[in-house]
Amino acid sequence: MAKTASPVLVLAGAEAGDLRALEDYRRAGGYASLEQARKLGSERVIAEIKESGIRGRGGAGFPMGQKASFIPAPEKTAKPIYLVVNADESEPGAFKDREIIERVPHRLIEGMQIAALAIQAEACFIYIRGEYLTGSEIFAAALAEAEAAGLVGIPITVHRGAGAYICGEETALLESLEGKRGQPRSKPPFPALVGLYDSPTLINNVETIATVPKIIELGGAAYAKIGVAGSTGTRLFSLSGNVVRGGNYELPHGTTFRELIEDCGGGISEGRKLKAIIPGGSSTPILGADQIDTPMDYASMEKAGSFIGSASVIVIDDRACMVQLALRLTQFYMNESCGKCTPCREGTRWLEMILRKIEEGRASRAELDLLLDVCDRILGNCLCPLGDSNAMIVASYVRHFRAEFEAHVEKGGCPVAATSSLTGVRSPVDELYRGRVGQEAAL
Amino acid sequence: MSTPELVTVTIDGRQVQVPKGMGLVEAAAAAGIEIPVFCYEPRLGPAVGACRMCLVEIEGMPKLQTGCSTPVADGMVVHTAQSSEQAARGQSATMEFLLLNHPLDCPVCDKGGECALQDLSFRYGQGKTRMTFHKRSLEKPVPISPTIALDRERCILCYRCTRFSQEVAEDEELTAVNRGALSMISTFENEPYRGPFSGNVTELCPVGALTSTQYRFKARPWEYEQAASVCGLCPVGCNVTVQSREGKVQRVLSRNHPEVDRGWLCDKGRFSYPHLYSEERIVTPRRRGARALEELDWEQALEELAGMVERASGGVVLALSGSETLELAYALAKIVRQGAGSDRVVLPEQTSDALDPFRVPIAALAEAEEIVVFEDCPVLDRAPLLELWLKQARRNGAQVTRIGPSGDIQRAHGEAALACRELAEKGNALGKRLRAAERVILLWSGGGSAGGTHLAALALTLGLNEKKGSGALLLPASPNARGVAEAWAAAGDEDRQPKQIGLLIVSGDEAASDPQVRQLAEHARATVALTLFAGDSGEWADLVLPATSYLEREGTMRNLEGRLQRLRGATGSPVRSELSWLVELAVRLGVALPGSEAALFAELSAQALDGISLSALGERAPLLPHGEARTFEIPEAEEPPILLGGPLELIRYRALFSGPEVEHVPELAFQRPATEIEISPEDADRRGIADGSDVVVRSNGTRVTLRARINAALLPGMVRAAATHTSELARGVEVSRP
Repeated sequence: MAKTASPVLVLAGAEAGDLRALEDYRRAGGYASLEQARKLGSERVIAEIKESGIRGRGGAGFPMGQKASFIPAPEKTAKPIYLVVNADESEPGAFKDREIIERVPHRLIEGMQIAALAIQAEACFIYIRGEYLTGSEIFAAALAEAEAAGLVGIPITVHRGAGAYICGEETALLESLEGKRGQPRSKPPFPALVGLYDSPTLINNVETIATVPKIIELGGAAYAKIGVAGSTGTRLFSLSGNVVRGGNYELPHGTTFRELIEDCGGGISEGRKLKAIIPGGSSTPILGADQIDTPMDYASMEKAGSFIGSASVIVIDDRACMVQLALRLTQFYMNESCGKCTPCREGTRWLEMILRKIEEGRASRAELDLLLDVCDRILGNCLCPLGDSNAMIVASYVRHFRAEFEAHVEKGGCPVAATSSLTGVRSPVDELYRGRVGQEAAL
Repeated sequence: MSTPELVTVTIDGRQVQVPKGMGLVEAAAAAGIEIPVFCYEPRLGPAVGACRMCLVEIEGMPKLQTGCSTPVADGMVVHTAQSSEQAARGQSATMEFLLLNHPLDCPVCDKGGECALQDLSFRYGQGKTRMTFHKRSLEKPVPISPTIALDRERCILCYRCTRFSQEVAEDEELTAVNRGALSMISTFENEPYRGPFSGNVTELCPVGALTSTQYRFKARPWEYEQAASVCGLCPVGCNVTVQSREGKVQRVLSRNHPEVDRGWLCDKGRFSYPHLYSEERIVTPRRRGARALEELDWEQALEELAGMVERASGGVVLALSGSETLELAYALAKIVRQGAGSDRVVLPEQTSDALDPFRVPIAALAEAEEIVVFEDCPVLDRAPLLELWLKQARRNGAQVTRIGPSGDIQRAHGEAALACRELAEKGNALGKRLRAAERVILLWSGGGSAGGTHLAALALTLGLNEKKGSGALLLPASPNARGVAEAWAAAGDEDRQPKQIGLLIVSGDEAASDPQVRQLAEHARATVALTLFAGDSGEWADLVLPATSYLEREGTMRNLEGRLQRLRGATGSPVRSELSWLVELAVRLGVALPGSEAALFAELSAQALDGISLSALGERAPLLPHGEARTFEIPEAEEPPILLGGPLELIRYRALFSGPEVEHVPELAFQRPATEIEISPEDADRRGIADGSDVVVRSNGTRVTLRARINAALLPGMVRAAATHTSELARGVEVSRP
C-alpha cells in the first residue's frame, strides 16, 4: 500500500467485499448523499461539485462542475435534459470503471441520481461497453433493487455497446445511443446544448459520477483538499503490464509512478528492469524509465510530456521492442478508427504500413522521417482525439527510443525479435483486415 | 421577416459583414475567398466536418477548425490556407491523405473534368505522392442499382450520398459498412438502391465513385452542348440541364431552382432520356395501309392531313395531352379553331383560376407550420419532388396531416371535397389549428378537384390569401394541364360544337392512352395522332405523326404553382419539330401561324398572359403576381360511385415509374410498379388472404392476378393498385384467393 494512509472514496466500504446488495451499500452509508442532495437542491449540488474541483475521469479532464453549469435550466429549453454515463471503457490499459460497476454499482446509481437532480434531467442513460456483460448484469440487478426501493426518481436506461472503441468518445456514444453508426460529431455544438436527440446532455465517465456521492458527503471544499492543486481527489489507477501485482489502486492525485509501481504493484515482474511507462492509457505519450518519479496529476504529467488520461498505467519492461509496441498499438487505432474523418482513416493505416515495414527491416531511414511527418500531418487535423492519439504516441515512441527504430533500419530487421515479449503479438482482427484490404498483404 | 443581425468578421485580412450565424465557408465566399470543401453540402443538413479540407485558423482557438461547421461570430479573425501556414499545412495534409488510396484513374473516370478532387488536387495538392505501398484495391464497379455504379476505390468517404439517403430522401437505403480504412458505402444488405430519388447521389458525389450507368464512358463534360430546360414529366417542372453530344442527349442534370426543386431530381426525370433513342420511337409519318401502318414522307403526310381536315368540314375534335407546351397547344388550337372551324376539344383535366390567389412557391412548404394534404393519389406518384419538400417540412417541425384512404385521417377515396368542407366548419379541431397557425399550406393530390375550387373555398375561409407563406396548391395529373387549357382558350372565342366527328386529332401519348379519347376514335371517321410511340395510337389512328419529346422542345409550361417556365430543346432530334410542319399546314388552311415558338408565345401572351415576355421568365422563372381572392360557387362534391363489378373500390393510380417515357428505358424496369394490390387487414382477413400471396382481382368478368400487400393504413373497403396492372378492371372489384 501507499506510504501514507490515503482516503478511499469511490471504492469506500468495498475493501472487504463487494457492495452489490442494496442492504450492504446502505450499511456503508449508501444513498445518504442522495437524501442530502435532495435537500440541497439543484443549484447547491452544482456549487458543491464545482467547489470540489473534480475533473472528468474519462481522459479529457474537463471540470465536471463547469460542464454541468453549461446545461440550460429546464425553463430555458424546450427540450428534455439528459444525463448520460459513459461506461464504454475501452481504452487499452483501463479497467477501473469495470471495478466500480461490478463492486459498487449502487454508488454509481446514487451518483447518477444526484447528478441528474443537479442538472434537472428528465432521464438518465448508461452506455456500457458490450464486452462488460457481467458488469451490465450486475448493474441491472442493482438498478432493479434500487428502483424497487423507490430510490430511482429519475429513470435510468441501460444500453450495451456493440464493440467499438470509438463509442467511448462522447459524441460517437450519443450517435450510437440514438441507434446510428457510432461516429463522432463535429463540435461545437457541444453536448451540453445539443446532445442526445439534440437535447441538452451532461455526459460523464463512470468514475466521475461514482465520486459525486462522496463529494456531497464530504462537501466540495473538503474534497478539494485531497490530492494536489488543480488535480483534486482520488483516482483509480489501473496498473497493468510487466508488474507483479496489477490491479486498480485508489490513490490521491499527486502520487508518483514509483509509489504506484513499486509500493502498490510490487515492482517489475521477474525482477526485470523498467523500460518505459504508458502513463494514462494507450492514447497517452510514453514516458521513459527515468520519469518514474513524476507525480501523477494533470500539471506534472503535462510537464513530463504526456497526460494522465484515464490513469491507466502500463508498465513496460526491458524485453519489449518499442517498434513492435508502436505497431501493435497503431493496429489498434487503425482498426478502431471510425472512418469518418480523412486524416485518421487514411493516416492510421499509413502509419501501420510504415511501422510494419520498419519492424520487418524493409524501411529506409527516410521512411523513419516519413513516419514522423505523417504523425505531424495527422495531429491537430482530426475530428476527434482518436487519430491525434495515434499520431502523438507514435511520435513519442520515436522521440524516446529513436536509436531502437534506427537499429531496425540499419540491421534490416528487429534486433530483439528473438527475445521481445511482443514478437508475434498482433491485433486479433489483423488478418481479417489484411485479407479484406487486399494486395499489400502479399508484400 | 426581420433583417438578420449583421456581424463583422475578418478573413485573410478582409473585413466582411455577414448575417450572424452564417457558416464560415459562406462568409469567406462573401469576402471573395474560397475555402475548399468536399463533404460540405448545406442541402444535406448540418455540416459534419468529415473531410477536413476546409481547415482554417481562427484567432483565439488552439486547433484548426473546420470552416464548414463553424458559424461566424462578431469580431472573429480567420486565416484560411491563403494566409495561415498552419491552415495550409492542415489542408495539404488532408489532400495527401485523400489521394493516398485514390486510384488516380482520371483518364478513364467519368468524373474527369468535373471532379472536385481533381480540381482541388491541381490547386492544393503536392503534385507527387509519398505513398510507396499498394493502394487499397476493391472489387469495382459494384452496381448498386441498374442505374448507379459504385467504384469504392475512388470513394473519398465524404458521406454525402449516405447523408442524402438518410437525411433528405429518408429512404435509409445507403449506408456505410465496416470502419476505419475499410469503411465503404453500401446499400443495406446489398439490395438495389430503389429509392425514387437515388440518382441525386451521382451528382452529389464529389468524385467518380457513384456514376450513372447510362452515362458511363459516353462523353466528357467539356464536349457538351447544354440546354437550360425544365423537366416535362410531371407538374413540378424541376429545372434541368440537358447535355448533348453530337446531337444526342447524354444526360439530364439538376439545375437548382431554390423555389422549385432545390437541385434535386427524381429518377424518372433524370434517367428517362434514353426513351428518345428507343427503337420503338416513331420517327417518320405513318399511314394505315391495307395491313399495317406504312411509312410515308412528310409532303405526303401533310397532304393527307390537310385533306382529312377538309373532308371533316368542320367536324374536327382536338384531344390535347397535358404534357404539351403552351405553344404547341396554342398552334394546334389555332389550326382547329381558326382553320378547321371547330371549337370542340378534349382537355386533359378540369382547370380553373380559383387557386391563383393562393399561389405560393413550393419551397414555402419547408417553412410551413401546418400542411394538410388531401391525398387520394400518393403525392410521390403525382409530383415526386413534393415528397422531398414534405419530408423537409417535417424535419423543420411542420405538422403534416394527410387525409385520404391511407392517411393520418382516413377518408374514403373521393371524399376529399367533403373533408375540405368539414375543415372549413367552425369547431373542427384541425380547422382550428389551421386558423391559429401563421403559415399553412394545403395540397390536393387526386381527382375530383373541380379545378381546385374545393380547395380554394377552404383556403379562403382560412384566410390563407392574407397570411404570408401560406397557400394552396393543386397537384394536377399532367405536367401542363392548366397551360394547355389557357392556350386552347386563347386561340378563339367561338363555341362551335360539331356533333359528327369527321376528324379526331390526338396530340400526345397521354391523350392517346386516355380511354375517353379512344372511345371518340371509334366514332371518328378519321383519326390522326401525334405520338412518340405507336403503342396506343398505332392500333386505331389512320395517320400517325412523330412527336418530339419534352427534351427536344422549345416552349413554356405552367407548373403546379402556376409558374411559367421555359423548355429549351436539346440540340438534335431524330424527329422534325411539330411547329415546322404545323406552319406549312396552317398555310394550306389559311391560318396565320407565327413561325417560331418565341413568336407564338408573344402572340399568346398578348392575349392571355398579360403580355409577359419570355425574357421575364429567365433561366429560373419567378412566380409571378396573381389575382385577388374571390368567392365563387362551390361545386357539389361528387356522389360516391356506384360500384359495379364488386364490393371493393379499386383505387387506380398512375405510378411514378410508368408512362411511355419510362417504359422505353430498360434501366428503369426495376423501378416499375410491383404487380401488387394493397388491401386493408380487415378485408384481407375476411377473405383469408395472407400478405404477399397471389390473389385474383375480378370485375365484370375480367380477372387479373396480383400479389396482395396488406396495408394497415388503408381504409377497409378500398384496394389500391397501379393503373398499369389494372387498366381492364372496373371501379368495383372483388379480391379473392386463386
